Amino acid sequence: MTVELAPPPPGRSAAADRAETRRRRVPYLLLAPGLVWLFIFYVIPLFQLLRMALTTGNLQAGYVFDWVWENFTQVFTTYQPQLLRSLVFALATTMITLLIAYPLAYAIAFRGGRYQSLFLLLLLMPLLFPFLMRTLAWRIILADQGVVVQTLQNIGLLPSNGRLLATGWAVVAGLVYNFLPFMALPIYVSLEKIDNRLIEAANDLYSTPFTAFRKVTLPLSMPGVISGSLLTMIPAAGDYVNVELLGNPQQAMMGNVVQNKFLNIIDYPAAAAISFTLMVAIVILVLVYVRSVGTEDLVA
Amino acid sequence: MDTRTDIPAVELDGVTKEFADFTAVYELNLAIGENTFFALLGPSGCGKTTTLRMIGGFEDPTTGVIRLHGEDVTGQKPYQRPVNTVFQSYALFPHLTIFENVAFGLRRRGVEDAEVKRRVNEMLELVQLTPFIKRKPKQLSGGQQQRVALARALVNHPRVLLLDEPLGALDLKLRKEMQIELKRIQQEVGITFIHVTHDQEEAMTMADVIAVMHQGRIERMGEPTEIYEDPRTAFVAGFLGASNMMSVTVVDRGSGAVALNGGTRLHIDPSKLDGGDGTVRVGVRPEKLRIYPIDEVSLPPNVLQGTVTDASFIGVSTHYLVEADHIGEIAVVAQNLDDHHHRPGDPVKVGWLPQHCFVVA
Repeated sequence: MTVELAPPPPGRSAAADRAETRRRRVPYLLLAPGLVWLFIFYVIPLFQLLRMALTTGNLQAGYVFDWVWENFTQVFTTYQPQLLRSLVFALATTMITLLIAYPLAYAIAFRGGRYQSLFLLLLLMPLLFPFLMRTLAWRIILADQGVVVQTLQNIGLLPSNGRLLATGWAVVAGLVYNFLPFMALPIYVSLEKIDNRLIEAANDLYSTPFTAFRKVTLPLSMPGVISGSLLTMIPAAGDYVNVELLGNPQQAMMGNVVQNKFLNIIDYPAAAAISFTLMVAIVILVLVYVRSVGTEDLVA
Repeated sequence: MDTRTDIPAVELDGVTKEFADFTAVYELNLAIGENTFFALLGPSGCGKTTTLRMIGGFEDPTTGVIRLHGEDVTGQKPYQRPVNTVFQSYALFPHLTIFENVAFGLRRRGVEDAEVKRRVNEMLELVQLTPFIKRKPKQLSGGQQQRVALARALVNHPRVLLLDEPLGALDLKLRKEMQIELKRIQQEVGITFIHVTHDQEEAMTMADVIAVMHQGRIERMGEPTEIYEDPRTAFVAGFLGASNMMSVTVVDRGSGAVALNGGTRLHIDPSKLDGGDGTVRVGVRPEKLRIYPIDEVSLPPNVLQGTVTDASFIGVSTHYLVEADHIGEIAVVAQNLDDHHHRPGDPVKVGWLPQHCFVVA
């Protein structure tokens, strides 16, 4: 920058200073409502949740804050299977949903032609029906006398007395079904944005269609894959409805434990500790996933 | 051009491209010689980009054959052809660095790492982008992106380079610089460039051979001076620079004497009258005309009389509009060689030589 030779006239400088201060304040003023909202409805409850997790007592006698770490330790002892199952089911759901949703989104984006909007509408249509209804419908689809089970038994993939309902498969199937639109939509959006000339350029530079997909289309659609995965993985890890309707207590996930503690046993401290642990576990899972998929090379 | 090699670098033989509702290219025959800077020039929708895309393999011709150095490549995919393309608006890979963008083609062909590094660096030096090697395309200016696109194609040593309006997105000054730069690079690497453009000045600055396309056909093909001086069709005359057109009646085919509507005699090169019927359309370029005071006596064979309606001083030249008897307004570009500045309203004479007239179909 240039050297300042003389101080600016004092009157103007003060006005300019005030304008400058005001300008600097604007972003914070604009952020303020959101920050207040977040503080009241997120930070404070989160703090209360953590505090509750460290208390002891019951609803009748009242709760006493006493640094009770046992609530946390039991998550890793008593509820370790449920915690692991939550993470495994969430990961499996994400992977299977991704495998189904990517080709689906690809087909709509590149082969949909003038029917693109219609296909998108069809994709979103199930969301117009209540979540519970849709999940209950899967009980009929996967029923012991249903078409799916019969077919699998006939071709020998399932023993003659085997069943799908009340197994982990049914739970994951339900989760996959319920989260498919949330995976497919972001992927569709990122694929749809890709300029066809980039694919042509890759073909021009000696890429077969498959190499062009691997080196250009796939990397450019990663933002969609990541947001879709997060929209699937996070709610799937905390889900309890699918186990409730399609599984049995043997497939209980963390969500079921929390639900039980909160609503049936009314053990708030344990429920809070489990919720908090589950939250941390999901954050770690997400970080590992995003890292392994790799975002550094991506453009927004 | 035939003298350079027997086998043309690119040959189109009766190529037609039909889309669902129109024919983009009609029965095109074209041979482009080795080491030629070839320009496909025409207005939008004339079929020039479709022609380029068929050479690149992005479109298949409905009928006809495309040969590269004598080899039939019709139906081959883009990645199977020894041809590379500089795309309109560049189509650089946004997720890759400049280095990886340029290395893309080499890597796909399995060139080993050290060789990739050497060739990419060499190419980036040629287009003066070495400092930007680690950046992403979005971080470069339009002109720099353009040079990356060029480097990405040229690094593969294609036998033919296709350029689809490569300078269209650049501002005027940069475009002029890149025109000279492209021509220099073409001469340096010595391969055939096929350049699609709608800018006649750009085509004339760079190309050895220009083909002017109109409605799916090539209307005129030749060296820039040749097709400028003798455009042969009204479309080419109008598309390549300005011209004054007039209808004349042939009076004596042997001497090239023709007459305007009002009876004024003009003379044109008799060889250009071949096949000309009773009435023909002739044209003359504004810069071939000279403007004289009304009382001037030493005049060329073709003279019209008129009144100046507009005079604009450009610096290197003055542009006049003269309302001439029987033909209406004609444009004259006069070099500022003498002190004769004619003002609107001045009666003047406009004269030119017979050989500067061309006849259009």
